[in-house]
Amino acid sequence: MAENELADPRTSDSNTISRRDVIKSVIAAGAVSSTSYLFRVSKVWGQASAPGAVDRLITLNVNGQDRRVDVMKQETLVMTLRYKLGLTGTKIGCDQAECGACTVLIDDVPYYSCSVFTHTVRDKKIQTIEGLAKPDGTLHPVQQGVIDQQGFQCAFCMSGFVMATVGYLKTNPNPTRTELAHGISGNLCRCQDYDKILTAMMRGAEHLRKA
Amino acid sequence: MAVIRDVIPAFELFQPTSVDDALSLQARHGAKAWVLAGGLDSFDWFKDRIKRPEVVIDLSQVRELRGIRADANGLEIGAMTTLTEVLRHPVVREKYGILPDAAEAAASPQIRNQGTIGGNVSQDARCWYYRGGWPCYRAGGNICYADTPTGLNREHAILDANRCVAVNPSDTAPALIALDAKFVVRGPKGERVVNAEDYFIGPSIDITRMTILKPGDLLTSIRIPSTWAGSQFYFEKARDRKVWDFALVNVAAAVVTSGSAIERIRLVVNGVAAHPVRLTAVEAAVQGKPRNEETAKMAGELAIQGAEPLQYNGFKVPLMRNLVMRAIRGAAA
Amino acid sequence: MPNTTPPKKYNLIGKNYTTGDLYAKVTGKAKYAEDYRADGMLFCKLALSPMPHARVRSIDASAALAMPGVKAILTADELPPPANSITDNGTVIMANPRGYQALTNEPLFQGQPILAVAAIDELTAAEAIEKIKINFEPLPFVVDPLVSLRPGGPNARTDGNAWVRVPPPPAKPGERPQVTPPELHTVKWTDADFEDAKSGRLPMGKETEEWHVGDMDAGFKNAALVLDETFVTPNTSHQCLETRSTMAYWQNGKVFVHTGTQSTAQTVPAIARWLGIDQSNVVFISEYTGGGFGSKITGDITLVIPALLAKKTGAPVMMRITREEENYIGRARPSLHGRMKVGFSKEGRITALDMFVICDNGPYDMVGDAFSSGRIVSVLYQPMAMRWRGLTILTNTPPRTSQSSPGGMQGIAIMEPVLAKAARKLGVDQVAIRRMNAPEGKAPFGPLVAGKQQYATSAFVKEALDRGSEQFKWNERKVNTGKRVGSKVRGVGVSVSSYSGGTTGFDGLFVIKPDGRIYIQSGVGNLGTESWTDVHRVVAELMDVPWEKCDITWGNTSKNLPWTCPSGGSQTTHAMTRAASAVATDAIKKLQEIAAKDLGGKPEDYVVANQRVARKGGGAGLTLAQAAQRAIQLGGKYDGHELPTDINKFTTVSATALAGQGLLATAKDNYPHDGNTFSFVATFAEVEADVETGQYKILDFLAYADVGTVLHPNALGGQILGRSILGIGHTLGQKWVYDQHYGLPVSKRFHHTKPPTILDIPDKMAWAAVEIPDPETPIGARGIGEPPVGGGCAAIMNALSDALGDEIFRRAPVTADVILASLEAGKPMQDPLRSNI
Repeated sequence: MAENELADPRTSDSNTISRRDVIKSVIAAGAVSSTSYLFRVSKVWGQASAPGAVDRLITLNVNGQDRRVDVMKQETLVMTLRYKLGLTGTKIGCDQAECGACTVLIDDVPYYSCSVFTHTVRDKKIQTIEGLAKPDGTLHPVQQGVIDQQGFQCAFCMSGFVMATVGYLKTNPNPTRTELAHGISGNLCRCQDYDKILTAMMRGAEHLRKA
Repeated sequence: MAVIRDVIPAFELFQPTSVDDALSLQARHGAKAWVLAGGLDSFDWFKDRIKRPEVVIDLSQVRELRGIRADANGLEIGAMTTLTEVLRHPVVREKYGILPDAAEAAASPQIRNQGTIGGNVSQDARCWYYRGGWPCYRAGGNICYADTPTGLNREHAILDANRCVAVNPSDTAPALIALDAKFVVRGPKGERVVNAEDYFIGPSIDITRMTILKPGDLLTSIRIPSTWAGSQFYFEKARDRKVWDFALVNVAAAVVTSGSAIERIRLVVNGVAAHPVRLTAVEAAVQGKPRNEETAKMAGELAIQGAEPLQYNGFKVPLMRNLVMRAIRGAAA
Repeated sequence: MPNTTPPKKYNLIGKNYTTGDLYAKVTGKAKYAEDYRADGMLFCKLALSPMPHARVRSIDASAALAMPGVKAILTADELPPPANSITDNGTVIMANPRGYQALTNEPLFQGQPILAVAAIDELTAAEAIEKIKINFEPLPFVVDPLVSLRPGGPNARTDGNAWVRVPPPPAKPGERPQVTPPELHTVKWTDADFEDAKSGRLPMGKETEEWHVGDMDAGFKNAALVLDETFVTPNTSHQCLETRSTMAYWQNGKVFVHTGTQSTAQTVPAIARWLGIDQSNVVFISEYTGGGFGSKITGDITLVIPALLAKKTGAPVMMRITREEENYIGRARPSLHGRMKVGFSKEGRITALDMFVICDNGPYDMVGDAFSSGRIVSVLYQPMAMRWRGLTILTNTPPRTSQSSPGGMQGIAIMEPVLAKAARKLGVDQVAIRRMNAPEGKAPFGPLVAGKQQYATSAFVKEALDRGSEQFKWNERKVNTGKRVGSKVRGVGVSVSSYSGGTTGFDGLFVIKPDGRIYIQSGVGNLGTESWTDVHRVVAELMDVPWEKCDITWGNTSKNLPWTCPSGGSQTTHAMTRAASAVATDAIKKLQEIAAKDLGGKPEDYVVANQRVARKGGGAGLTLAQAAQRAIQLGGKYDGHELPTDINKFTTVSATALAGQGLLATAKDNYPHDGNTFSFVATFAEVEADVETGQYKILDFLAYADVGTVLHPNALGGQILGRSILGIGHTLGQKWVYDQHYGLPVSKRFHHTKPPTILDIPDKMAWAAVEIPDPETPIGARGIGEPPVGGGCAAIMNALSDALGDEIFRRAPVTADVILASLEAGKPMQDPLRSNI
């Protein structure tokens, strides 16, 4: 847990990354990349023999599919989902682990995907909002709860709330309104539609119990 | 050079699978390495480009650091065990209920799912000047911006300040001290076990660190003796928002009574100094006293002796007094 | 009871339904600005000013531009000059040369963008920014309006510290009327003026604006009680969950812009003006917007950065605005320092009200919050005499703009604690004192204009108070408040609240095609209120067409949208139901005419119902599909080849493009409208405070709204409670924290600025509506976005003072530290006047 400090980079240039270190790599077969993010490596790249060294080209299990993807070392999961895998339903609201718009399930547990490295979850099952409905378009019961109650306003927070609810209901399928509020309290809604959101999610929980 | 507080700079990432490998990576990279637990503290520093490690050692794959072992002697909690795992563990809930109470008070559900107990006790100060990249004492400068005539210090220290007036933000730390936990640290010279309260350090010892950990050290587990299992506990956190907020002040107490009298007690507050404050004088004063309003009042007044508020945090003095009163009462009244 | 008609029986209006955007939202398919990708898309990053006020002496970007992957830099020197705009009635709004621009060489607040870099990825752009050397000359700064007013106090701008509105010059014959920008003055008060500050009362030196109505002297002379109170409201950022990210590219001379907005149609001329190009070269795409609250009324000028970089590089450019950047450029509600001297009769009637406010404007465009606060206090409390005085002072803090209930919320927050205290001192019930001062019917308000006050279209506040207090069980609940049980004490609070609720004069446009469906064009922005679709229910209702037979096109200006009000100031429900009524009426008239032509008789012999136009009482008719086919054959006005002359040219362009596809209906709202439209809310709350920690929780909440006819209950309820909580946030904890010595903010994170969480409000909240139609608008519906905000804020404050007494707080937010310290000291312990603490 030693979180060691380094010299303040603003007073020292020694830590800045030189563009010489940039390798323009060819996209490997099967890998998905956006049009924009090129491959980047840091200057200590190449110590492949060290214990715990990390490959850039990894397989991620997202919404039940294995996806080959090239991931920078410092890349957060939300950026991989949005910019490498085209899964833009997961939103970036604060990028600071405070708003929950980026919530996804990692092995069924709600995570702030802005605050986890993609490499950290490469062996896990990742589920996003796009993976909730059935292939035939049938909505997940929690999604149906939103439809029933016209939950949410601008809905920028919606994916995060829905994923947080789906995750929470796996641990408590029959919550009281208060319990569910606590369960999804890591998500902010700036339209402040909390009352209607909670009603929609309670309806979703009810659907889920019947499903 | 223009400053930009955005986008994590590139670094090399290592994901060791054993403590030995983690330690050898730490030894090899020394002060250039950053050890990453749940990441909820680290990501802020990275994204703001204030801390720029060349190497990040991610402990997420070290299985031996994760899990809870319970036996007759107590508990051993791996440092990488998440707060959610701690607060849901049946034995922890049954016998050491103050710890789940404290863990549940931390931040938000997602942060508890991702954040670890080791990270929660080792997190850095949250002073907004320091975290904002101001070159203060704690960042290696020679001023404390929060302790100037215009400094904004509502959240800051009322006790034991030394140049820096930041406070320790942890919720689990006071609970662990109340439980007389031992922290297991491995480093270049092998393993050492320290009392929970000795894990935390104030600015007079080292103004740039919150804990005894130095480069090369790793907190591997937290041991909780059975000494206080099943005793009477009190935990309360005063805060602005009811979720995702740091404590204005929090209090943790473990109490064993004999008849109506307090037989033994451990009493800790946090959010008032750069380290959690164990109130040993109060513990001694209330020993043998009945757990009533009179004792509570006496304890509260004793607790705040020596408190030195800053311009905007005077409220923390009565808040700490009242939370100590409640802990002695065992209720909010 | 006022003479009103009960709600009409409608098939669609007033009923819940599933909006057409919800499935896309709930499946993650809805695309917000940052969800778009384009081939070869570059990313841009901003360099922000580290200082609150400085001048850029020089920029050396050579090292950055030499980096592989860096494509271009954009500085303030490359921005088009500020341009005038023209309103719908032809008035020219002259550009303010001191207005906010996307980039600057003289930053007036820390965090203001200086330049932007476009590169192949964000990492490269960020590294490039770090390699740019910007040489700044620091300049004097001030982040507190009272400090700026002190003798010798610093000015936020080198040439002044106060905005003063000037009357528009008289229009010259043959020229368009003009609105000139406010003048920048330097206002300093004397040391003697500041004497009051020593006792924590707002000093009142010379104001820059004033109005008064009625006999103030007599009002105070006849008062049984006079209170004189100071109250300060916080600066609060809008904090839309979606930051103002933008993606832009150019194709065939047109710029394509993806960003959030509160108004699809109105953003087009704004983009054209900001980029210095013709409107016809702007394609604006915004199907979904992640919140606006007044900060994105026509998008945001920052969008020119990726647009200009896209032009420079010949590639699409994504500008992903971070949360920290949003704190700086995402706009904010200005703090008002207020002082309120109010005289009351012994029954509680307000005999005179003397209001003084100082608005913390930030350094750029003047906001109207100071003026608006007086207007809303005037309409809401109907004082027998009133004087309002104000100043709008510049500070080196982020630019302000309207935030839900701009000025209204602050005025109500300043006034309501005075009213609560007066009721306690006079022994009058809190609901009763508000009822006796409430507006009713065509209630007058504001300064004299041409010798008389303006007036509201209607007001049913007393009904809202009566029904609300009954539903809330006010009389039962108020009995046991203020008594301590252990460390807990409960209190109940009531507040009235108001804001403007609608405008007039916009256009409707739709086509009935030969497939029998109605294709409705919506220029309303989709920021979550659902007004983009709700207002068009009126078309289906009046045409008697099932909603399933209607398709709405929205969110893309290449798809021929009509001129539409901006969704700000709660205009849309009112303005666009009027336009919908007008266009439906136009369609019905055309259908009747076509039927008469084909089937004989007079147009008025025919009715439109059941997807047909047919003779009254049964008989021959045409289906809508047949009529649409006939409209194409008839051409002219029927299929849009001839258009009315009074519609906006924006609508004309769209209608022309749609001509020939079916029966084209388009019309401007020319309905009469006597008065100013306001909506009202009566708000009730119960709180429980803990006197040992200063913490409190809201136990129950009811907002009872007077908004006329209800269009869509679920959406209305979401708005009433959502905007109430926005106001509640101002009581619970929302604020800025600035270090005055350095002029820099320390509050950058949500846990510093404290927007409310789901646990900060009750598990279940309640809302209701009076549902008396407004008599001055066809459907009777008024807007709701702004009116609940002040009530949310003030009802909680009033409940707290009911629980804890009047000597606790003198400003908002009311946080645990304030309550505990004040209880401990037996007097208010807030730093009374200092900004942003």
